[in-house]
Amino acid sequence: MQQFVNVTLTGLISGSVYAAFALALVLIWRSTRIVNFAQGSMAAATSFIALALIQSGWSYWLALVVALVSGFVLGAVVERVVIRPVEGGPELNAVIVTLGLFIAFQALIAIVYGSSFESFPAPFGLRGFSIGDTTIALTPNSLYVLGAVVVTMVGLIALFRFTRVGLAMRASAFGQEVARLLGVRVGRMLTLGWALAAVVGSLSGLLIAGGGLVWPAYMDALIVFGFVAAVLGGLDSPVGAVVGGLSIGLALAYVSAYIDPALVNLAALVILMVVLLVRPGGLFASSTARRA
Amino acid sequence: MTRSSRRLTRILATATVASTLAACGGGDGGSGGGGGGENEASDIGITEDSIKIGAHYPLTGVAAPGYSEIPTGVQAYFDCLNQEGGINGREIEYIYRDDAYNPTNTSAVVNQLVLEDEVFAIMGGLGTPTHSAVLEFLNAEGVPDLFVASGSRLWGENPEDYPYTFGWQTDYESEGKIIGQYIAENFPDARVGLFLQDDDFGEDGERGIREYIDDQIVAAERYVPGNTDVGPQIAALQAAGADFVVGFNVPSYTALSQLVALRLGYQPQWFYSNVGSDPALVGSLLQNFSQGAVSDASLLDGALTTEYLPGVDAPDNAWVQEFQRIWDECGGEGELTNYRIYGMAQAFTTAQALQAAGQNPTRDGLVEAIETAGSEWEGPTFAPFRYSEDSHMGTSGMQVSRITGTTAEEQTPVLVTDLGNAEIEEFDGEQAPPPANAIPDVESVVD
Repeated sequence: MQQFVNVTLTGLISGSVYAAFALALVLIWRSTRIVNFAQGSMAAATSFIALALIQSGWSYWLALVVALVSGFVLGAVVERVVIRPVEGGPELNAVIVTLGLFIAFQALIAIVYGSSFESFPAPFGLRGFSIGDTTIALTPNSLYVLGAVVVTMVGLIALFRFTRVGLAMRASAFGQEVARLLGVRVGRMLTLGWALAAVVGSLSGLLIAGGGLVWPAYMDALIVFGFVAAVLGGLDSPVGAVVGGLSIGLALAYVSAYIDPALVNLAALVILMVVLLVRPGGLFASSTARRA
Repeated sequence: MTRSSRRLTRILATATVASTLAACGGGDGGSGGGGGGENEASDIGITEDSIKIGAHYPLTGVAAPGYSEIPTGVQAYFDCLNQEGGINGREIEYIYRDDAYNPTNTSAVVNQLVLEDEVFAIMGGLGTPTHSAVLEFLNAEGVPDLFVASGSRLWGENPEDYPYTFGWQTDYESEGKIIGQYIAENFPDARVGLFLQDDDFGEDGERGIREYIDDQIVAAERYVPGNTDVGPQIAALQAAGADFVVGFNVPSYTALSQLVALRLGYQPQWFYSNVGSDPALVGSLLQNFSQGAVSDASLLDGALTTEYLPGVDAPDNAWVQEFQRIWDECGGEGELTNYRIYGMAQAFTTAQALQAAGQNPTRDGLVEAIETAGSEWEGPTFAPFRYSEDSHMGTSGMQVSRITGTTAEEQTPVLVTDLGNAEIEEFDGEQAPPPANAIPDVESVVD
C-alpha cells in the first residue's frame, strides 16, 4: 500500500512537470500553429542561467525571475530572427528549423557550461512528509511544483479566454489574413506567443531541475513525454495538456514500478498511438475542423 | 612548461636513451636482435619514435561524471613517461574520443581510431554496452584491445573468441561474490535489496551475490540508464522491507538513489559496488543541495563499498603519492581524483605491456607478451592479474571498505577469487612499491 501511494505520488509529480511543458507546447501551437521542438533546450538554457546565478550567491527566487525574463527574451528573439523567415512557407520547414535549434542550443550550453552533471537546488525541502511513522513521497518542493503548474494553467486559460491579447493571439494563429484585416498586429502577436511559450517552458525546466541533476540534455526525456502529453490533450487545450501530463506521469510510474522500467519509453508511445487511434484529435479536442 | 621546452626535454631524453641503446648494441658485438637493435616501424601505429594508442570515453552525457576524468589521468601519465624517454625511445601518442556512452557513437569513433588515425592498440575503452559494440570489429581487425574499463566477463572469459581483448579491473561477478560473502558473514539477518543497472553490469553482480546470499535477497530492482526517475524502483525496495541495499550502478545513479531515498525517508544500510561509490564525486553531484534541503553532502557516510586500487583517501600509499607527483607535474586542471588514478594505473599496465612486447613490438607480439608475463607484473592494483593463454581476465582482488566522509576504512583484507565456483581466499601477497618515477622496468618476453 505504501508503495502504491509512493509510486502514485511520484507519478503525479513527474506528470505535473510534463504538464507544464505540454502547456508551453500548447501555448505556442495556439498562437502560431507551430510545434516547437527547440522548447526543451531553450528551457535548459535558461535553467543553466539560473543555476549560474544561484551558484554565485543569488537567491532561488531572483534567479527564477531572471530565468523567466531571459526565457521571454530568448523566445521573442528566436521568433523574430530564426522563425520569421520560414513562417508562411510549408509547415514542415518551421518544424525542421526548430529541430535544428534544439541541437544548436544544447551544444551551446555544453560549450558554455560544460557537459558535467550539476545538482540544482530546490526552493523547498526534499524530505517527504511523515504521516505517523511512514514517510510518503510528497515533499514541500513537490507541492510547490504542483502549485506552480496549476497557477500557470489557470493563467493561460484566463489569457486566452478573457483578454483581448489572448483573443488577438488566437486570431493571428488561425487566420493571419483575416486577423490583419481586422486590425490585429499579427507579427507582434506571433512574437508574443513565442515569448510567452518560452517563459512557460523555462518554468517547466526549472521545476524539473529543482532537487535533481541537470546537464545539457536533461530536458530530452521531458520533451518526449511533454509532447505526448500535449498531443493526448489535443494540442489545443490547456486543461487537456494538464490532464494529459498527469495521466502520462501516472501511467509511466506504474509501468516502471509494476511491469518493467525498460518499457517506460515504449509505453509512452503505445499510449499515444492508442489515444490517437481512438480519438484522432486528442482527448480534449474541442472541434475537428478548426482550420482557417 | 612551454611546449618547446618540453619538446627539447623529450629530444634530449630520446637522444640519451638512443645513445645508451647504441652503447649496449656495441657491447653485444653487433649480434642484432634483443634490446640492441634499431627502432623500426614494426607495425601499424608504430614508428621509429612513436607509438599511437587510442581510446573511447563518455566525455559527455549521463555517464560522463567521473569517467570523463579518466583519460586526463592517462594523458598525464603518458606525458610524464614521454618526458623520461617513453618506451624504448618511442613517445606515446594518446588519442581519445567521446562516445557519450552511446554504442552507436562508439562504433563510429573506434572506426575512426583504427582506420583513420591508425592506432597500434586501443586502451581502456570504457563501458560494457559501448565496448561490446566494437569487440568483434577490433578482434576481426587484429587490433590489441587492452584493459577494457569495465568489469564484464566478456573481455577475458573466452580468449579463443576474442584473442586481442583483455580485461583489467575486478569483474563484477567476482565483486558480487566478495560482497555476498561479506554480507553473509557480517549481516546474516539483513533483508537485502538489489539496485541494479539493467545490463551485464547488474546481471553479473547479481549472479555473484546470489551465490552467497540468495535466501537473504528480498527484492531486485533494475533501472535503465538514461531514465533518471528511479523513484518507483527505490519505493519497491522500501516496500519489500529491504534494510540493506546493494547497488550495482554508475555514480550519477548513486546520487539519484540517495535523493529518492531522502524523499521517501528510506534509510537502509547502503552498499555501492566499486563503480558507483566515489564519495568525492557523489558529494560534488549533491553539493548544491547543501545550501538548502540537505544538511551536508555526506549522504554516503557509513555506506559500504569495495576497492581494488588505492585511492585519494589513502594519501600515505606510495602509489598514490607517486600518482600525485605525476598529476602535479604533468596533469591538467583540477585535483587528483580516483578516476585519474584509475587512468594512470591503466596507463602503467599499458607501459608494462609495451615494454614486454620488445623493442619493435607487433600487435600479435603484444598479445603474446601479456599472456606470457602479465600475471607476474606488479603494479598499483591490490592483487595480481589473471592473464594467461586461457584467461584474459584482469585482477580479481578486492577489499570491502566503509565510507566515512571522503575517506574509506578497510573492513576486510584483500580477497581474491575467480568466476564461477572458485573459492574466495585471502590474498597473501603485499602491494609492491612503485618503481622509480612510476615507470615500469619489465623485460621483453617476445623476440
